[in-house]
Amino acid sequence: MSESSVTKPAPVRRKLSAGPLSTGDKWFFRTTSIAANFAFVLVAFILIFLFIQALPALTSQGLPFVYGTEWNTQQEPIVMQIGPMIWGSLLIGAIGVVFATPLAVSLAYLIVFMLPSRLAKVATTLVDLLAALPSVIIGLWGLFVFSPVASEWGAILNKYLGWIPIFQVKSADNGFGGSPFIAGWIVAIMIVPIITSITREVFSQLDRDLINGALALGGSRFSTFRRVIFPTSAGAVVGGVLLGLGRALGETVAIFYVLQITFNINWGQILEPNGGAVASMILSKFGEATQEEVSGLIAAGLVLFILTLGINFIASIIVNRAQPWRKN
Amino acid sequence: MEEELMSFAPRPAVQPWARVNTGRRIQILLASIVPILLTAAVILVTGLDRNVALMGVFLPLQLIAASAVGFRAFGRRGVGDAALIVFVVFFATFVLVLLASVVFSLVSQGAQAMSWGFFTQNNRYVSNTTSLEYGGVGHAIIGTLLVVGLTTVVTVPLGIAMAIYLTQSQSKTKGIIRTLTQAISGLPSVVAGLFILSIAITLDWQKSGFLGSMALLPLMLPTIARVAEEALRLVPVDLRYAALALGAPNYRAFFQVILPAAKSGLVTAILLGVARIIGETAPLILTVPISNGTSWDLFSGEIMTLPAYVYNYLGSAFVPSQNRAWGGALVLMILVAILFGSTRILSRSKSLKSKPTKEKASK
Amino acid sequence: MNSLAKASTLSSENISVWFGQRQVLSDVNLVFPANKVTALIGPSGCGKSTFIRTLNRMHELIPGAGLAGSVYLDGEDIYSEDFDAVSVRIKIGMVFQKPNPFPTMTIRDNILSGLRLSGRKIENGDEVVETSLRRASIWNEVKDRLNDQAISLSGGQQQRLCIARSLAMNPQVLLMDEPCSALDPGSTRRIEETIQELSSNMTIVIVTHNMQQAQRVSDQTAFFLADDNTPGGVVEFGATEQIFNGPIDQRTNDYVNGHFG
Repeated sequence: MSESSVTKPAPVRRKLSAGPLSTGDKWFFRTTSIAANFAFVLVAFILIFLFIQALPALTSQGLPFVYGTEWNTQQEPIVMQIGPMIWGSLLIGAIGVVFATPLAVSLAYLIVFMLPSRLAKVATTLVDLLAALPSVIIGLWGLFVFSPVASEWGAILNKYLGWIPIFQVKSADNGFGGSPFIAGWIVAIMIVPIITSITREVFSQLDRDLINGALALGGSRFSTFRRVIFPTSAGAVVGGVLLGLGRALGETVAIFYVLQITFNINWGQILEPNGGAVASMILSKFGEATQEEVSGLIAAGLVLFILTLGINFIASIIVNRAQPWRKN
Repeated sequence: MEEELMSFAPRPAVQPWARVNTGRRIQILLASIVPILLTAAVILVTGLDRNVALMGVFLPLQLIAASAVGFRAFGRRGVGDAALIVFVVFFATFVLVLLASVVFSLVSQGAQAMSWGFFTQNNRYVSNTTSLEYGGVGHAIIGTLLVVGLTTVVTVPLGIAMAIYLTQSQSKTKGIIRTLTQAISGLPSVVAGLFILSIAITLDWQKSGFLGSMALLPLMLPTIARVAEEALRLVPVDLRYAALALGAPNYRAFFQVILPAAKSGLVTAILLGVARIIGETAPLILTVPISNGTSWDLFSGEIMTLPAYVYNYLGSAFVPSQNRAWGGALVLMILVAILFGSTRILSRSKSLKSKPTKEKASK
Repeated sequence: MNSLAKASTLSSENISVWFGQRQVLSDVNLVFPANKVTALIGPSGCGKSTFIRTLNRMHELIPGAGLAGSVYLDGEDIYSEDFDAVSVRIKIGMVFQKPNPFPTMTIRDNILSGLRLSGRKIENGDEVVETSLRRASIWNEVKDRLNDQAISLSGGQQQRLCIARSLAMNPQVLLMDEPCSALDPGSTRRIEETIQELSSNMTIVIVTHNMQQAQRVSDQTAFFLADDNTPGGVVEFGATEQIFNGPIDQRTNDYVNGHFG
């Protein structure tokens, strides 16, 4: 703080080089930088190659590819449209989210606010175990063990609540296996861990002082939840739910054997074995697909990728905005 | 004399706020048990479907009982609390029951197929009706080790190098790279398979285990990069400064100081990456032709992997094949559990090691 | 016995420091004569630690760091193109506020780590280890457990180990950024004794919050001060005796008599 700074010229900043100096350092930074830029390369490759192989189908089918409802590879020219599949993926994803969210939030609440720390660690490990289970195992279990049980639930819903449109079916004798309802349940099981882990993080990072303050004012568990925990964490939970939705859209094998893929848009009769999902459709048609059909399948994959990219993007914005303390 | 001394003995710690009076304890116990008994009675007497009884009888009864206890204890707000607790416990238990069901059915159904032969033999001469004594997943285990092994060998250096770049460099593209990595992690597995398939079609390559390995790469990379970055970040920054202050160039500071300190975290990253892809099915179905015999060749011909094995026998109408699917699934789950358990052991031993040892008295 | 490096004279000329667009230090002119201990005192946040990091070119590691002016080691500008930061840091060592021995290494390996990190061949490793530990006044406590993990030592011992680690590089100047602030009084005292022994063949610059410590160990003292939102700078610089017992500037007087800070 010199007194005579008025007359002194402004100091000239020097060029500071904190960059790599020795040859060893140069190679170090060069190699890691190449590796990091591989991310660009990979994303570019994915989009480019998918697009190249999807182009024939996209040009021959045009825009109706995305919203049309016909898939006929027997006629000439063949028609490939994935409208019902996209709708089905969204429907199943939505059902999955509706089922998964209360389950996941409850688990998170239990772990953070109710269990003593040792049991909480066990519960967290169990949830992580659920996340680690490969989807083909869930598919196996889903087909042989869960599907019959869920069909029972579907039958009950149809029997007692069948007057509500979404629970209506053409014929209750068809059984309920293969319906979006069951697929939605399986998808729900797969995305519970994602939602739970984000919710758990938000809950445990809640300012303890806020909660203690609410309790000190005479709040109870429920009122604290309603007025403090829920409002503060709602944003991040929504983000987590969207992430789960993104994951659900990509589920292939878990619901493959449980779905009956038909090319009619299942507008909302979730108990009806009707409709499908993009990922599972790709897998099912792949085995005997001709070159043209393969192009259509790749195009379907491209559409699915763009869809999940969009949802994941929105989800991560919401999660980051809702948790400003999280350095992503 | 002894009584006087005894009065100075430390008393056991008392927590008056945690004491629940016995009356309340009995109430809570009753509120938990009575609805169960009543529901069971209703099922027995009316033959009501179990699921309906669970939702329509048990849950409301439990709510009422818990609310009653809550009301008696805390008045109006006790009701809200009780309802919250009932719902939370109900839903959480539901999930845990489902998880238990998965594990239980895997173990019980898969156990049928378990035998030493199952682990070592392949299915070359096995048809849909061959009994379980013959055949196995030997070829699938080898195939999985090879395919996943190749992916790991390529992806781990890549992912760790990315993590190094993200933590050590000061470039402005770091944020974009992280976003891209996150975008890649959202890649549906079937699209990863389609991606490699697209390359194969464009370049006229044959399907092979190698293509399967490459299809798994974008699925493994984000996991490794993310966990490795966290592991490197956990290393205290003053270690790096200390190394630099001693006259180290960046790369030596990294390899001699930071890397050893992050070792267990990096191993965890690798284990988690492997666990992530070892069960992936869709990419392999699209890019790898399956075989019933054992193959050691990743670059041509057919090769079987564990997930493809399960997928293959899943859809069969024949019981022996279904049993084989369960058996393969159990083997897969055992592998996942081993990987998973290893990461837990690693993290526990690390937290034990980093506990500061008692300060020795300085002379 | 390899000869210890000759102590050097370090000086800063018109050093100004920025973090991004914010200037935090203005026009610091100080001289650190050979074989003398100089203390840098002042309230927290006035730039002492930032300044000391310009002396061994650690400041430039911070993203957005800016600097004007020069630092001369025996007359040569260490920021000139003839010098690279790494070689500067070999000649000018640093001990940090929080002891930071490398946790994955033994005591012995920690001492030799500087040599390994700078890529020098290690000759007479045992001799280097013993000499450094003796100079840091910790040889007797650890001579029988050189292969123990460094983090098994107490806090004070770890800090002396860090001092020994820096000494193993045979620096001409040793910079110390509040080396005792995380330690108990006993360890502090021992380190202060070490500083006085070391200064016989080394130039030492020490940042400290503790005015009594400054009076005990240093030959000369510089008093830093920064108002809110103005860059910090040196208010007064001179013999320790004079700074504490007969300061010229009123602000110095206020600070050393505990009126603020």
